[in-house]
Amino acid sequence: MSTTELNGLSLTKLQELVGAATKDPESAAPLNKWNARVKWKGGFKSEAYVREHSFRSDEPSTLTGANTAPNAVEYVLSALGGCYVVGFVLNATKRGVKVDDLEVVVEGQLDNILTFFGLSDKGHPGFREIKVKLYARTKADKKTVDEIWKDTIATSPVGNTLSRNVTVVPEISVTR
Amino acid sequence: MAGEAFQTSVVGSWPRPDWLLDELRRKNDGEMTYDEFSEKADEAVLLAVKYQEDAGLDFITDGEQRRDSFYSFVVDKLDGIKLMTMADLMDYIKDKSRYEQMLRARDVPAYAIRTPVVVDRITKKRSLALDELQFLRKHTKKKIKVTLPGPYMLTRASWIEPLSMKGYDSREELGKEYVKLLREEIIQLRDAGASFVQLDEPSLTEVVYGEASMQTFMCAVITSKVEPKEELTFATELINGAVQGIAGVKTGLHVCRGNWSRKEETLLSGDYGPLVKYFQQMKVDQFVLEFATPRAGSLSVLEGLSSGGKELGLGAVNPRTDAVETPEQIASRVREAMKFFDSSHICLNPDCGFATFAETPLNTPKTAYRKLLAMTTAASELRKPMEGRVLLERPPR
Repeated sequence: MSTTELNGLSLTKLQELVGAATKDPESAAPLNKWNARVKWKGGFKSEAYVREHSFRSDEPSTLTGANTAPNAVEYVLSALGGCYVVGFVLNATKRGVKVDDLEVVVEGQLDNILTFFGLSDKGHPGFREIKVKLYARTKADKKTVDEIWKDTIATSPVGNTLSRNVTVVPEISVTR
Repeated sequence: MAGEAFQTSVVGSWPRPDWLLDELRRKNDGEMTYDEFSEKADEAVLLAVKYQEDAGLDFITDGEQRRDSFYSFVVDKLDGIKLMTMADLMDYIKDKSRYEQMLRARDVPAYAIRTPVVVDRITKKRSLALDELQFLRKHTKKKIKVTLPGPYMLTRASWIEPLSMKGYDSREELGKEYVKLLREEIIQLRDAGASFVQLDEPSLTEVVYGEASMQTFMCAVITSKVEPKEELTFATELINGAVQGIAGVKTGLHVCRGNWSRKEETLLSGDYGPLVKYFQQMKVDQFVLEFATPRAGSLSVLEGLSSGGKELGLGAVNPRTDAVETPEQIASRVREAMKFFDSSHICLNPDCGFATFAETPLNTPKTAYRKLLAMTTAASELRKPMEGRVLLERPPR
């Protein structure tokens, strides 16, 4: 294993990034903004375009979708899990801890799906609770792993978005 | 092949010491060779043997100390097959949501479950269990039992079509390869002094009960759903191919309902009834079955099996509980079995191994030892009234 690489990350690049942001915090400003464009593809299907990537969204057949892809709330859960994976690996790497395996299981409970269908005015259609369990295989001691996990949760962008009630600014534009 | 009544043995595995698990991880991470690991495991085998001898078992195993699990260890012995995690195999799993449910029920990450996958033509690097037997022979004078994964279990678990087609045109062709391999192995083990060779086929219950239960064997998830009749006929052919006509060694078949967790509700339930007609066609001497757990149902379904002269390896203690069965409880279970089998055709064993999967032992060595002791005490008590009498006596129905 190269001494300039840990957990599949280049330590040199990581140090350069941290060094640049420390020296000039403004240089990190572009990293504060993220975009996505989502195009309807018929039925409940849609395609999201993000930088040079794209991915589809659909609903399961139990919700009259074609079940060709995960649905939006599943992407929220996956985004949270993915964010914790990134955070855990970053925080482990910063401490020089080798991670042998990592897996995150996320389970969300919607408050009341009936509100989504307009069949109830009790509660709301959003997630009431999201449970996250992270499985890690590493030789690091328990105290270090606990610290990594704590930092991961505290610094997770998606975790913070969900737990801090982000302001959503809606707008619509119609053409005929 | 029957001899003295109520012969005792473990099903196979014994809890591994923590230091051995560390060494096993190092081997699995490629930090040491199998031979280096095996040399270290010698000490753990001696410990497992000591416990079994002190408990007074008639047959001794090596506690499967050198194995990652009862079947995945074959990757150390064969080329053309490699250990892959369920995370690696995610893309090949057809029913992903069922698979996800199972992982959640077992509270395990996908990377923790490893299965051997055929990725090329299989060739032997070394014998599957001859090294285990040879070491045991140097260190015990007791009769030796060797466990091997059955041909159906191996075929079912290791056939991942997109990967395995590189070596074999079909699952059936792969099955024949395992039959040839196991047959050679059994003969080799017999010639080297094994008294009892047991084939492990736990997934047979999955074939009949898997769909009815949410929890099932991981290997079954990878493959598409199977038709029980066809599948059990296929399994019977494979098992017979491996054992038929081999004399001079007792052959056994172990069938349980899963042994990965102490949560009984995550394991399969249902009696052996649907399997009996296939058992009757199988050319093994002994069926090593669960009966300590109520999930295994009634012994009475085996009635048709005893008339064929088959032996019963009666599951007398539950490997997954802290409570140690009393000799009286065990004897009572044996008396129930005596309604259907001659005494000389009844052997005693736990329901399954004490650590089928190395990383998830189901009991401590101390409790396991106490369970074995209860079993051997029951066996010697049961033998007492028969001394000087015909052992084949069958109690009135």
